[in-house]
Amino acid sequence: MAVLTTSLAGASGRRHAPKAIRPCLVGFALLFAYAPRLVAQASEYQVKAVFLFNFVQFVDWPAAAFPTSTTPLIIGVLGNDPFGPFLDATVRGETVRGRPLEVRRYQTVNEIGTCHVLYISSSEEGRLDDILSDLKDRPVLTVSETAGFDQRGGMIRFVSERSRIRLRINPDAAEAANLTISSKLLQAAEVVTPAKP
Amino acid sequence: MRLRDQPIRQKLMAILLLTTGGTLVLACAALLAYQFWTFRQTTLKQLSTLGNVIAANSTASLAFQNERDAREILAAFRADPHILAAGLYAKDGTLFSHYPADLPVTAFPAAPGRDGYRFEHAELVGFEPVTQVGNARLGTLYVESDLKAIYSTLQLTGAVVALVMGASLLVAYLLSSALQRTISQPLLALAETARVVSDRQDYSVRAPALGKDELGLLTDAFNQMLGRIEDQDRVLRQNVAEVERSNKELEQFAYVASHDLQEPLRMVSSFTELLERRYGDKLDEKGRKFVRYAVDGAIRMQRLINDLLDFSRVSTRGKAMQPVDMGQVLDTVRLNLSVSLKESGAVVTNDPLPTVTADETQMVQLLQNLVGNAIKFRTADRPHIHVSAQATATEWVFAVRDNGIGIAPEYFERIFVIFQRLHARGEYPGTGIGLAVCRRIVERHGGRIWVASVPGQGATFSFALPHHNGEQAL
Repeated sequence: MAVLTTSLAGASGRRHAPKAIRPCLVGFALLFAYAPRLVAQASEYQVKAVFLFNFVQFVDWPAAAFPTSTTPLIIGVLGNDPFGPFLDATVRGETVRGRPLEVRRYQTVNEIGTCHVLYISSSEEGRLDDILSDLKDRPVLTVSETAGFDQRGGMIRFVSERSRIRLRINPDAAEAANLTISSKLLQAAEVVTPAKP
Repeated sequence: MRLRDQPIRQKLMAILLLTTGGTLVLACAALLAYQFWTFRQTTLKQLSTLGNVIAANSTASLAFQNERDAREILAAFRADPHILAAGLYAKDGTLFSHYPADLPVTAFPAAPGRDGYRFEHAELVGFEPVTQVGNARLGTLYVESDLKAIYSTLQLTGAVVALVMGASLLVAYLLSSALQRTISQPLLALAETARVVSDRQDYSVRAPALGKDELGLLTDAFNQMLGRIEDQDRVLRQNVAEVERSNKELEQFAYVASHDLQEPLRMVSSFTELLERRYGDKLDEKGRKFVRYAVDGAIRMQRLINDLLDFSRVSTRGKAMQPVDMGQVLDTVRLNLSVSLKESGAVVTNDPLPTVTADETQMVQLLQNLVGNAIKFRTADRPHIHVSAQATATEWVFAVRDNGIGIAPEYFERIFVIFQRLHARGEYPGTGIGLAVCRRIVERHGGRIWVASVPGQGATFSFALPHHNGEQAL
């Protein structure tokens, strides 16, 4: 926990750094000697948690995705949760288009009820095709870092590229699920069109 | 030189040009100020619009930390050469991306400032919030623009305004120098006419009337006035000529009459005297008395005619003016009057007397008449006569003071009129011409004569002779 706090301090200390992501690495470099893995993971999932939250702002769901006008926007995590406290911390107190956000954790795909963004943990890699076919045509934005996720019918894949996290997006899958992804998001990502099976 | 003392033409020009110039300067200053203000507002608006668009475009790159994307978006600022710098700040306040890429990070604010656009020093800076529509804030866009566009536009406007002002002033100058004539011309003509009239005493000139405005009315009134003066002047000249002519005739008549009367009178007096001398013993007492009356009458008439001749000679037989020492004149008078001075025991004293430019004979006549009168109208006391002179700025004032019987104030004027006598012939002898001659002499010299007296305490006859050149000194 002490290490974690220091890491956060390191993250906030990037104020004077020239670039946005490099500061993460400053914290990373500072703490590398003490807990390299944990820190690397911490900052990586911290960023990914923010990205999950930010997706919400660039994606439009069909009206049917929200049974009532006060239905919260739900971010789900399927399988082992790699975010630790970061996802809850990121979402806490935030609203999007007037809706509060809520994080739910699922162990199996059957538990998933109303859900808008679903992060599929790498622990589910084996069951991925089943999960995706279960979710097919439901307005759920699927996100994962599993290799080939975007090729297999997933919508957004996190790609760790050196120190950065890049996005690969399969807009056809999103369109099939009746989701509209903002062109701005597409511009900031790598667009993938998987070969039709 | 004050405006008040300037010629009216320049005054009018100054008024017209100052008015136009002042208005122009004010209008141009207002125009420039307005232009400056609007252009500032426009520039601000333009920058905020641009900032708005760029901020909207950069949401995803901030949200997903895509630096390459961010750099591309910021590079759009290249389209506006006045944008000096732009930067994207992440949510936590760190600089995420900047434009131009080669600008050092230290050139950017360490942290985003207050949202909004404002003028700072010679630059326009803005902080635009980056938010995906209606959602949480993702970061801040910083834009910095120079104001060269404003200043170059202002310079251009200033140059145009200066040109317009110069041209307007030139036109105003030409117009006003043409238009001021409608006012100054009649006035100048009027002034010129007035000058000619007073210089040449010529009342026949007329000011040219130019138009029917107040100046035209003034010119008309002035011309009418001149016309009236011309008429009156002509009448006056005629009258003066008439008076002069009749005066001359009268003088001539008096002279001729008195001169021609002398001849028969001399015959009457010499034959009556002869009659008295040769046949006096042949007449009885009564006859001798009648002859004596006749002789007396003839003598009196002789004196009357002589005095009349003196009176008319003052102007007809006057001599040239020359410097006359009044002290010598008084000495001559003393000599001429030595008999009556001796008889009366009178004393004539005097102050130092000046030299004046005058007719010497007439000066003797004048002083002799006055001193003679002083002796004649004496009281029982021994007569004391004092002659003095005093200089004023313009004339010499001589005074002949006596201790005689004096004159009542109501007669001060009358005594100088010919044949006016205050006393019966038996009381004081005389023809009543003496003081009239005195007045005539003094008036011929351009002076005045008057008397001051308290009855019983003597009289002072004064006469003033105007200075001629260089005779002020005693």
